[in-house]
Amino acid sequence: MQVEDGEDERRLVREAQDGSGAAMARLYSLHWRGAYRAAYLVVHDAAAAEDIAQDAFLAAVDALDRFDRRRPFRPWLHRIVVNRALDWARREALRRRVDGAESVFEPLPPPRDIGGELMAALKELPPEQRAVVALRHLLEYTPGEIARMLELPRGTVNSRLRRGLDRLRETAKAESLAEERR
Amino acid sequence: MRNEALDRALHEAPIPVPPDAEERGRRMVEAAYAERKSGSELWGAMAPRTSEGRRRQPLPRLALALGIATLLAALLLSPAGAAVRDWVGDVVETPAPKPEPELAHIPGGGRLLVQSAAGPWVVQPDGSRRLLGDYEEATWSPRGLFVAVAKGRTLSAVEPGGNPHWSLTAEHRVRDPRWSPWSPSCCRIAYRSGEELWVVAGDGTGDRLLSRSSAPVAPAWSPLGDAGLAYVSRGGALRIVNSESGEEFPIGLAGANVSELEWGDGGSTILEASPGALRLQKLRASKFEARPRGGTRLELPLPPGATVVGAALAPERATVAAVVTHWREHGTTSEVLVYAPGAEKPRSLLTVPYSLGEVVWSPDGRRLLVAWPGANQWLFLPVGRGKPRAVANISRAFSPGEHAASFPRIEDWCCR
Repeated sequence: MQVEDGEDERRLVREAQDGSGAAMARLYSLHWRGAYRAAYLVVHDAAAAEDIAQDAFLAAVDALDRFDRRRPFRPWLHRIVVNRALDWARREALRRRVDGAESVFEPLPPPRDIGGELMAALKELPPEQRAVVALRHLLEYTPGEIARMLELPRGTVNSRLRRGLDRLRETAKAESLAEERR
Repeated sequence: MRNEALDRALHEAPIPVPPDAEERGRRMVEAAYAERKSGSELWGAMAPRTSEGRRRQPLPRLALALGIATLLAALLLSPAGAAVRDWVGDVVETPAPKPEPELAHIPGGGRLLVQSAAGPWVVQPDGSRRLLGDYEEATWSPRGLFVAVAKGRTLSAVEPGGNPHWSLTAEHRVRDPRWSPWSPSCCRIAYRSGEELWVVAGDGTGDRLLSRSSAPVAPAWSPLGDAGLAYVSRGGALRIVNSESGEEFPIGLAGANVSELEWGDGGSTILEASPGALRLQKLRASKFEARPRGGTRLELPLPPGATVVGAALAPERATVAAVVTHWREHGTTSEVLVYAPGAEKPRSLLTVPYSLGEVVWSPDGRRLLVAWPGANQWLFLPVGRGKPRAVANISRAFSPGEHAASFPRIEDWCCR
């Protein structure tokens, strides 16, 4: 569910700043799903994605008094989500490299259908590419907005996006071929 | 794959969502929001600007209290909760204490070293704090006169006020600097660089290689102030090396995936913590000069299904404090456990919803400081008698002026 327009979202932020629990609850309802999904697409671990989405909202509550009402809430929240998801994914990758071990938490596998194949292909991308693919194609930010959000040069965002999409297309092509042979 | 197909797939592909995840998050956010409003009232200038906020304030707090009580009751009454309740020696069935809005002083005194995204902070006993600089890691000297800090390939010693004393540049990134305990011949700093273990004198002289094979685990100094340094090799062996002579003493195989190593209990015990286990490695000679050898290994019992998040050995005792997390379908909970020497079961000091972070002992061994990132709080927990205390708004305190404040890591609590 999307907020009708930016004005509505600004109003909710203003009311939440002024002490309206209902407005805060509405902001949560509007954005939790997107936040969780974005986190999951980067970390591919349901428990971690839940923690990341929750942590991002807690950070939002913590910073609510200082939040500039002229700025949109959604990209600000997504910036926290994606940065935390990237931190988690990097730590996890490092831990696995160091330990040579699987995660102590068994992630719930995605269902094996077309979406499941895509998820499996997405999981093979480096976390940085996953993050820009999710921001561009799930959350629908422009490369310029992603660059500002992740504090990256725009060229870096474009190249990560291109590489990520190329690899996803290769996987999709290979899957189609395999399907035809079956 | 066309971009439109990818857009649609990313929006619509089924992804696993833990049961009630959204509702659990909502409860936490409501609680944090209610807490924010009560904090605002304590800070008169930031009080809610509408009468609605003031009028509604008690209701969310009541809802919060009821919510937490219900959640804990549900957890403890569920079959899995019952198993945990039966398993631990003593469960404190009270929720976390009501948090104070800021750190006005450090309970029990001492100074803290806290690592934030901006760098390490020194927190004085009165709660005042100072950012040392944009360093990546920091550790106290034994009397708290200096702090060893690392950034990239550089290791430096600085005063708690920030004045630098010396620096050295290693070949690889410097990790896990650890200052040895005080002794008449004080002191040394051990650190990892790449896969190597190095040691340098406290005045920055005599930098030298101790081992070419060190696992990514912080080394642990002998608590006696002698030259002994315990570390885990890349092959997974627990070893003690004489940091003066370079002589090595194999102790035994370390457990799998060890993440923390501590040497305490008068030099007779090394604690190994990993996500799945807590082990105490007894040494046959506590004095390092007497050629330490591995003795018995004791595995501390963990609650069924619990994952160790952090652990610490009490100063001068074999008491172990541990933070464990229970990941369950109906919600994550975390618990602070204390293992007294010889006790059959640990004592549970506190159980809270969601993940707790690291745990550190106070210098006098009477309190624990536990990070609670999910609630943006620190918990000061007396191990004996006394009142637990919680302090809120930790991220903001260590990320002034930042919109997306991150939760800092407690590095160390200094000094006796």
